[in-house]
Amino acid sequence: MDQLPNLGREQEMLSAMGFESIDDLFSDIPEGVRRSGGLPLRGPQSEEEIWADAQHLLGANIDLDSRPSFLSAGLARNFVPTMVGMLATRGEFLTAYTPYQPEVSQGMLQAMWEFQTMVSELVGLPVANVSMYDASTAAAEAITCAVRVKGRKAEQKGVVYVSQFVPPHRMSVIENYTQGGGIELRLLEHGSDGRVDLDAAAGARGACAVYVEQPNAFGELDEGIAGLKEIIGDKTALIVGVDAVSLGIVEAPGAYGADIVVGEGQPFGIGPTAGGPIYGLFACAKEYLRQMPGRIVGKTVDEDGLDAFTLTLSTREQHIRRHRATSNICSNETLIALMGAMHMALLGPEGLERLALRVAAATEATKQAVCSIDGVELVDPDTANFREFAVKLPGSAADALAHMDAAGVLGGFDMGEWWESMATCLLIGCDERTSQSDIDALVSALSSWVAEVSA
Amino acid sequence: MSDIYQFNGAAGTGWSQPAPMLENVENTVPAALRRASLPRWPRASEPELVRHYTWLSQRNFGIDTGFYPLGSCTMKHNPRINERIVQLPGIDRLHPLQPEHQIQGLLAIFYEMQEMLEICAGMDQVTLQPVAGAQGEFAAMRCIQEYHRDNGESQRDKVIVPDSAHGTNPASAAMCGYEIVEIPSGEDGRLDLDALRAAVGDDTAAMMITNPSTLGIFEPEIAEAAEIVHAAGGQMYYDGANFNAILGKTDPGRMGFDAVHYNLHKTFSQPHGGGGPGSGPIGVKSHLAEYLPAPLADREQAEDEGATDDGYRYFWRTPEKTIGKVQQWHGNAGAVVRAWAFYRRYGRELERMSEHAVLNANYLRHRIMNGTESVHAMPLDGAPTKVVKHEFTLSMSPLKDAVGVTGKDVAKRLLDYGYMSPTLYFPMIVPECLMIEPTETESKEVLDKFAEDFLQILGEDPEVVTTAPHTTDVRRVDEVLAARSLILRQDFEE
Repeated sequence: MDQLPNLGREQEMLSAMGFESIDDLFSDIPEGVRRSGGLPLRGPQSEEEIWADAQHLLGANIDLDSRPSFLSAGLARNFVPTMVGMLATRGEFLTAYTPYQPEVSQGMLQAMWEFQTMVSELVGLPVANVSMYDASTAAAEAITCAVRVKGRKAEQKGVVYVSQFVPPHRMSVIENYTQGGGIELRLLEHGSDGRVDLDAAAGARGACAVYVEQPNAFGELDEGIAGLKEIIGDKTALIVGVDAVSLGIVEAPGAYGADIVVGEGQPFGIGPTAGGPIYGLFACAKEYLRQMPGRIVGKTVDEDGLDAFTLTLSTREQHIRRHRATSNICSNETLIALMGAMHMALLGPEGLERLALRVAAATEATKQAVCSIDGVELVDPDTANFREFAVKLPGSAADALAHMDAAGVLGGFDMGEWWESMATCLLIGCDERTSQSDIDALVSALSSWVAEVSA
Repeated sequence: MSDIYQFNGAAGTGWSQPAPMLENVENTVPAALRRASLPRWPRASEPELVRHYTWLSQRNFGIDTGFYPLGSCTMKHNPRINERIVQLPGIDRLHPLQPEHQIQGLLAIFYEMQEMLEICAGMDQVTLQPVAGAQGEFAAMRCIQEYHRDNGESQRDKVIVPDSAHGTNPASAAMCGYEIVEIPSGEDGRLDLDALRAAVGDDTAAMMITNPSTLGIFEPEIAEAAEIVHAAGGQMYYDGANFNAILGKTDPGRMGFDAVHYNLHKTFSQPHGGGGPGSGPIGVKSHLAEYLPAPLADREQAEDEGATDDGYRYFWRTPEKTIGKVQQWHGNAGAVVRAWAFYRRYGRELERMSEHAVLNANYLRHRIMNGTESVHAMPLDGAPTKVVKHEFTLSMSPLKDAVGVTGKDVAKRLLDYGYMSPTLYFPMIVPECLMIEPTETESKEVLDKFAEDFLQILGEDPEVVTTAPHTTDVRRVDEVLAARSLILRQDFEE
């Protein structure tokens, strides 16, 4: 209520208009659909009361920083530079709408143009948009985009191959986004070593697109993917989902022929925030530009010839093209992308490399320590991992997690929740903040469970 | 101009980090996959970047800068306590897949928000998963699609939208695979029931409509429209973009709708952030509830007080026939928490919020249409009704005919006066349209001054207006060149 500047001045304003009461302003609502008697909700609160309740409720949650945590599964328990939150929440950024009036929105437009440059450089493709909702919607819309571009000449009409290790929650998003477009999703099989089966991949030649992840859901790097474009050919789009941080040490997919690269932007810019707001990265080769989803900023000049930025190629978008638009997306995750841009700019090239090395080192150290436990084995022993690795346990992963939880350790993710056949597999996620004492706590908690079930 | 690539923070990074836990770890990456050259990112120090981003922020206009009457976007004040709350580790440092007992507070907030949104819209079940209005539309249309399929009615492949609808409506339906049937508005801008009767049939899946309409007027025959669509076997979808106008006064449930999306970034003050994040929960009547995206927050009596001391244990529930996921996790939880803090500020007085939004819109419309400045030509009311709801439209056609000043010219001139432009050229059924939504958080003084300045512009030398803006960071931007030359990133070769 304290947010209404005209409280108490209603009568004055109504009289000026020749009305008597607020009810006059709602007289156009037919009686049959009118609501009366007030909303059956609680009373208003003061800021102090809201703060107290927020502290009480959110304080009842156990945050990732309060204990050793190895739960990643697609999100990163990162550390965001302090500058990021402080600058991104400046009111001029925070409270602006989409920059439809470029003359008074140069700040956000330039920041997004710089973001596009950094994402483009990161993944090795010339075009990047301003963001998608998350990695999953980015992957889903990359597929529909690729079908629009490659569909006409494709030999396997409407067919898209998707890696069998794409986690089910992402697969579900992909299915929802593609089912209306006459797209047939087929699984691209992996071999028993966890890597993409390159013989099977040859069968994808002539399809509209292939979607794979590097690293895959188990955190495994697959060198075979670097040769995939050659196998599937130019008529088939190669879409690669990435761990953005890994690209500090792992080759940019654009360099090995990817046509579209997508991924979760969250490790740059924002904490995991219970899954949102985060942002999806989307970058592509020029061929896809006019069929891509989302906002894009271009550099131009103003009337006086000064450098200026503006949203461009909006004729692809819903507010112009309506049902023929390339996507329905309008609001995206711009502010989070801005936070990502700030984080990337602070890191710089060498900072990115170091961040990637820190994650890789934590992954390797944790992997070695966990594998030293008798009875715990890597699901795929011969692969290199980034951020995550999967181990097979001598019992149910859910039980192991419950045991570790009781010991104050968030031990990872039960892969049985994704695939029933993997109910004894644990996905362990590491990050730049993983410490030796975290690893010791994990090994101790997991060992005591293993000892219990093996007894 | 501040150029991020002109800095040269001597350390090469603005943010030093501890050393990796192991040495030579790059050797774990297979040789064929090792990165050949690092991305050309800026090399800047924190002081340089703080200045860069501060400079950029000063070249950006937000609600905090000034009046932002952008129609259909509900640019209301964003309370700062909401930003402070989402910095708490109990939301910022949470993983959506943590065990339920570790996130009881989050689940309690989700549950409270679901229930509140259900009450406000007259719906039976809400999900908070969609992260934008457009995604909410898409998710709800997917639920409707599966509902028809389960009823053996997969021949229902058409979705009806009025020609005044937001572009996302037809775009979202088309993404589900629907064919779009656009029906013309009546001469007064209202829904034309005869056109609707002619459009429905056994191939009608749904009708998508917003009420109040994009003209800011309440559709008086909405209940009849719902009857027509339902009689044909179709579903009614409510675009909640204009929900700010009606809380406590009516609701989509009473109007006959089966599904609705909410824009938490409009009605419930999640900041727009220059283009997102948003949050677009959907609510449905019970016959669609089991199709909703998974998971929903639910609760049961706890044996003790429960982790949040309210006697409940909260948990995630997957609806039986769920369409699955539209976002990877549980939605934009941070936006939900901000909206929760906003809701708590009003509680049942959300009705007062809507009253003031409508009061301000009507007052501003009155002040403009009854102003006393000398103008070349007064605008035409987009919908000449006695009252409007939260927004109104003006046609600048008379001004264009009289002195050649277009709606866009007026919009650009407003920037010189320190205002954001109203929504321009939408809805398309009003020629030279300006769509104005003041929201409830603007004072009478701001509205008075805006009306005065607006009318003054209508009387200004047309040469000044058609060449506006004059005082902004850049003058009118060449958008044609931008689309033709397509410079979409820094070129290091130049």
